[in-house]
Amino acid sequence: MHLTYGFYPGCVILTEQYAYEIAARNVLPLLDVKLVDLNNISCCGEPLMSMNKTTWLYLAARNMAIAERNGLDVVCLCNACYLSFSKAKKLLKEDLGLLEKINSILSIEGLKYTGESRVKHLVEVLHDDVGVDRIREKIRFKLAGLKLASYTGCHLLRPSSIVKVDDPENPSKLNRLVEALEASSPHYPEELECCGAGLLIPKPDGGLSYASTQLKAVFNRGFDGVVTVCPACHKMLDGKQAAINQTLGLNVELPVIYYIQLLGLAMGLSVRDVGLHLNQSPCDKLVAKVRWNG
Amino acid sequence: MSIEASGSYSLIGRFIYCCFLSVSIVMVLIDLMTSKESRWSSSKSVLSIVGDQKPYSCYQCSKCSSGCLSAELLELMPHQVVSMIKLGFLDEVISSDIIWLCAYCLKCVERCPQNVAPAEAILALRNIAFEKGVKTPEGYRLILENVFETGWIQSFQPVISRDGEIYVRDDLDLPKKPEISNMDSFREALAKTLGEES
Repeated sequence: MHLTYGFYPGCVILTEQYAYEIAARNVLPLLDVKLVDLNNISCCGEPLMSMNKTTWLYLAARNMAIAERNGLDVVCLCNACYLSFSKAKKLLKEDLGLLEKINSILSIEGLKYTGESRVKHLVEVLHDDVGVDRIREKIRFKLAGLKLASYTGCHLLRPSSIVKVDDPENPSKLNRLVEALEASSPHYPEELECCGAGLLIPKPDGGLSYASTQLKAVFNRGFDGVVTVCPACHKMLDGKQAAINQTLGLNVELPVIYYIQLLGLAMGLSVRDVGLHLNQSPCDKLVAKVRWNG
Repeated sequence: MSIEASGSYSLIGRFIYCCFLSVSIVMVLIDLMTSKESRWSSSKSVLSIVGDQKPYSCYQCSKCSSGCLSAELLELMPHQVVSMIKLGFLDEVISSDIIWLCAYCLKCVERCPQNVAPAEAILALRNIAFEKGVKTPEGYRLILENVFETGWIQSFQPVISRDGEIYVRDDLDLPKKPEISNMDSFREALAKTLGEES
C-alpha cells in the first residue's frame, strides 16, 4: 500500500521546529507514506484570522489550490494549519459568493481553488491510513514500562463541526498510537486543556501560565513524558519549559517528544535521525528508560 | 364567535407589539459607568464576519466561561463579550484588551448549547479592531509584515541543541526552504484581501 501526500509543514516547523520535519521526512517513507514537497506554498493564514478574514481565507485557499494543481491530498503536521485549511474548506463550500471572491483574488497568481484536495493531519494518516497494526509490525524496540501523556492539542479536536479527527471530549487515537509502541498512555484530566500557544502573540505571560498548568499536572501525575503532535504545543511545553520553571519558580523536568520522533526511535532510527538532539526538554531521561536491545 | 374573539386578541396583541417595537427603536442603553450609548447597528459588522453562529441566540448560560482557561486573565468572561455584542457596546469591547486574551482553544465553540461561537465572535471583534486601526498587538502586525515580505510568519530561526550546538536550517540535512514563485503577484493579491490597491 503506497500513500502519497503533498507535504505542508507550515511556518512554525519550517522556521524553528526543525525536529518535527526531520523526523517526519525520515520516518514516514519507512511506513510507505511518500511525501511530495509543494513549491510556491506560504503561511496557512491561521494567525491572520485575528486581523482580516479575507486575508486568512486567501492564504488557506492559496495553499489548497497549489495542492490541487499538483493533484495531491495534503498532510499537515501542525494542528493550527489543519484547522485553518479545514475551516476554510467548509466556509468556501457553503458560501459560493465568498468562493467567487477568493478565486478572483487567486487569479492574480493564476491559481484556482475548487476544493478537490483533501486535508489530513499526521495523526489521521498514521492512525487511519497506515493503521495501528502496521505500526506495531514495524517497531523494533518496545517502549514497555513508559507511561506517556498523549497531548492531542485543541485544533485536532475542536470544533467538531469542522475538524473530525477524533472524539472532541474523549480523544483516543493518539493514545492508541502510543500504545502501539507498547508504552502505556492513560487518560488524564488535563488532556483537553490548551497549551496557551495562541496567547504567545497577544499576551505571552498568559501563554506561559497556560503551559505551566499543563506541565505541572502531567509532571505531578507521574508521567515519564508528554507526546505531542503539534509544533505549537511542543514549542510551549518543550521550548518554553525552562522559561516557565524560571519565571514561576517551578522544578518541572518533563521530557516532551513528538509522536513521530518516538515512533522513529522505536523503529530503530537514531537520535539524530529523528532530530531528538534539538528538543529542549530532558529527553535523554526518556531515552535512558528504554531497553534498546529489543 | 371564538374566531372573532381570537381575532380581536391578536389585533390587541399586534398593537402592543407595535408599541414595544416603537419603544425599542428609540430606546438606547446607556452604560452608567461611562455614560456611553449602545449602537445596535454596529453589531451587524460582527454578524457579517461570524456567519451563522449568531451571538443573538445566546441565553447567557455561561457554559463557555466555565471552561475558559482565560477566565483567570479576562476582565470579562466570554458570555459577557457575547452579551456586549448583543447590547451594541462594540466600541467598548474593541478598545479593551480582553479581546486579545483568547487563546482560541475553542472549547466555548464546542460546548455552546446554542451554537453560538464566542471565540469566533472575538475573532470578528479583532478583525474590526484591526480595520479601525484600534490597537492591535505588535506581534500580529509583525506577522503580517513578514507574510508580505517572505510568505511566512517569521524568518528562519537558528536553534540550539541540548548539548549547546547552534544550528540553522541549512545545517540540518533538510530540503531548501520553499520559495514563492512570483512575489509581486503574491503581494498584489495579499494587498487586495486587505482592501488596498498595491
